[in-house]
Amino acid sequence: MKLLVIEDDITTGTYIARGLREQGHVVDLVTDGRAGLVAATAGTYDVLVVDRMVPQVDGLTLVRTLRGAGNATPVLFLTAMGAVDDRIAGLNAGADDYLVKPFAFGELSARVTALGRRPQAVEQETVLTAGDLSLDLMTRRVTRAGREIDLLPREYTLLEFLLRRKGRVQTRTMLLEGVWDLSFDPMTNVVETHVSRLRAKVDKPFDTELIRTVRGAGYRIEG
Amino acid sequence: MRSLWRSMPLRLALVLVVIFGTVSLLSLGASFAVTRAAFEQSIRDDLAQDLAGFRAAPSARAVAVLVQAESDDTDPRRLVLSYVTPGGQIYGNGALARDGEGFHVISLEQGSAALEGDYLALSERLFGGRLTIARSRAEIEALGPVFFNILWISLLPTVLIALSGGLILARRSQRHVEVIRAALERFTGGDLGARVVTGQRWSDDLAGIGVAVNAMAGAQERSVTALRQVSSDIAHDLKTPVQRVSLQLEALAEAVPKGAAADLVAQTRAEVAGISEVFTALLQLAQVENGSLRAQFAPVDLASLCRTMVELYEPAAAERAQVLGFEGDDKVAVQGDRNLLGQLLANLLENAMRHAGAGAVITVALARGAGGVILSVTDNGPGIPEAERGRVTQRLYRLDRSRNTPGHGLGLSLVEGVVALHAARLSLEDAQPGLRVRIVFAPSGGAPRDGA
Repeated sequence: MKLLVIEDDITTGTYIARGLREQGHVVDLVTDGRAGLVAATAGTYDVLVVDRMVPQVDGLTLVRTLRGAGNATPVLFLTAMGAVDDRIAGLNAGADDYLVKPFAFGELSARVTALGRRPQAVEQETVLTAGDLSLDLMTRRVTRAGREIDLLPREYTLLEFLLRRKGRVQTRTMLLEGVWDLSFDPMTNVVETHVSRLRAKVDKPFDTELIRTVRGAGYRIEG
Repeated sequence: MRSLWRSMPLRLALVLVVIFGTVSLLSLGASFAVTRAAFEQSIRDDLAQDLAGFRAAPSARAVAVLVQAESDDTDPRRLVLSYVTPGGQIYGNGALARDGEGFHVISLEQGSAALEGDYLALSERLFGGRLTIARSRAEIEALGPVFFNILWISLLPTVLIALSGGLILARRSQRHVEVIRAALERFTGGDLGARVVTGQRWSDDLAGIGVAVNAMAGAQERSVTALRQVSSDIAHDLKTPVQRVSLQLEALAEAVPKGAAADLVAQTRAEVAGISEVFTALLQLAQVENGSLRAQFAPVDLASLCRTMVELYEPAAAERAQVLGFEGDDKVAVQGDRNLLGQLLANLLENAMRHAGAGAVITVALARGAGGVILSVTDNGPGIPEAERGRVTQRLYRLDRSRNTPGHGLGLSLVEGVVALHAARLSLEDAQPGLRVRIVFAPSGGAPRDGA
């Protein structure tokens, strides 16, 4: 994907840009809001990564200006500010996702990937599959290698969420948002316990592991 | 009503009534005395004149005739004329008698009956006899009731007007004082935006106090805001370097081979993660305490949120052999912020799981009570000693025995902040054994403050 990173802290910006390039993206880095606005309007980017507090034109104004001009490029906001109302202000201005500093690179990368795919989210299929695992959205039946797997409602939702984003890393906070509709990060790793319960049913009795842990980032279903 | 009697304007009115009454009494008393003296003097003058008239007579006989003639058509209750001739004969309509009690005027017409009332008498020897003229003091005596009537006719309206005026003023000033008191109470309760709203009919002094209170509240709010701004600025400014360190450590973790160095990097990353957790918690606390989030309040289904949180934490509790459960009604809504209430529940559940020990039973309960919606999280662990219960919500405070368990001591501070933001009440109770954290949301569900 072609990405634009607008971040005034050179060290952070450089690390983000380098990390994203290593994952095969094309990344442009600018350090102030005006340059960012010019680049975002001129170029065709798949995702914009915008720091909320950049000099000259701040992040909120930048996104509002872009949206006002009919530019719908997905935006991931980075902020050093506090949680709730800042998040809402960002989303109201037209940002698509929001990440509070300090974040892990894995979290950023997973969210950028998710944003880049967002427009294709309309899926007509009624059966989701990964390898020999299949989940029937109509009957809510889950089978693997012909054997039926009995899941609790939340385990089913979690599996469906991962299957719909097959091959892409989902971080703990993305799972909390998508599966539990909670946009805050509990300190203890409660998501991990749910994933291990799901694994015990979906992966353990079988030879190959479908639900993978991506170190320092989150989980991904293969297939 | 009792407090009304103790109010300043009414007391002033009472004091004024007493002073006015006393002054009226004194001046009326003085004029009464003066008028009486004048009346007496005029009676004495009349008597002297009467005597002078008889003195003009040529003989005792003529005096006796004159006295008899005059007294025939004179009421002895008004004027007594009496002439005792040198021979001892009495003429006139009355006589002066004397006994152990003093002088009496005796009516001659009605035998020897003494006449009631006081008289003023002048007596003089005339042609060997004794002429006595006595005038009744009845007119003077009548002055008393007259003055008494004047007194209460003039005093009564004054007293009534002063008292009712005082009462009206007292009630009005009591209402205004109540407005000031309520604003101060809200302010003390943590609502830094509370102000006294004065009206045009306010008295100058109370309006002045209101303005002064508002000025004080404004100054206080500014300094608190400045203080909060400073701490959130510090946390904010430190986040950028923490962000760099964390990204650099991440890169470092990729670069170093497995072994001692990698372990050290992992440890350092954990430390940095801890630091950023504290920053995040401090910033969130600052945001919650600032109160601006109330603007985004919406109805939250607390029952469904409780179920979600219990379900979220249930596997983690099971790993510690703890039993986590929810008891309560369906569809209990409060006005609030779902994410903050979720964070509140997360903090309470994490606290309970961390401190209640393996095998503990932790129950989240939700009930509708008379006082509002009651949310409680109860465990059967060791609880918190009563002496320390008030201190656990202080920032960064930790019980001695929990110093070595994970956590940063901000969890309950945030809980308290979220509770205050929702205008709810937080209490820590002894669950015998264990700890019960009880949160009561006001029945309306909304914050009890009006728009500020």
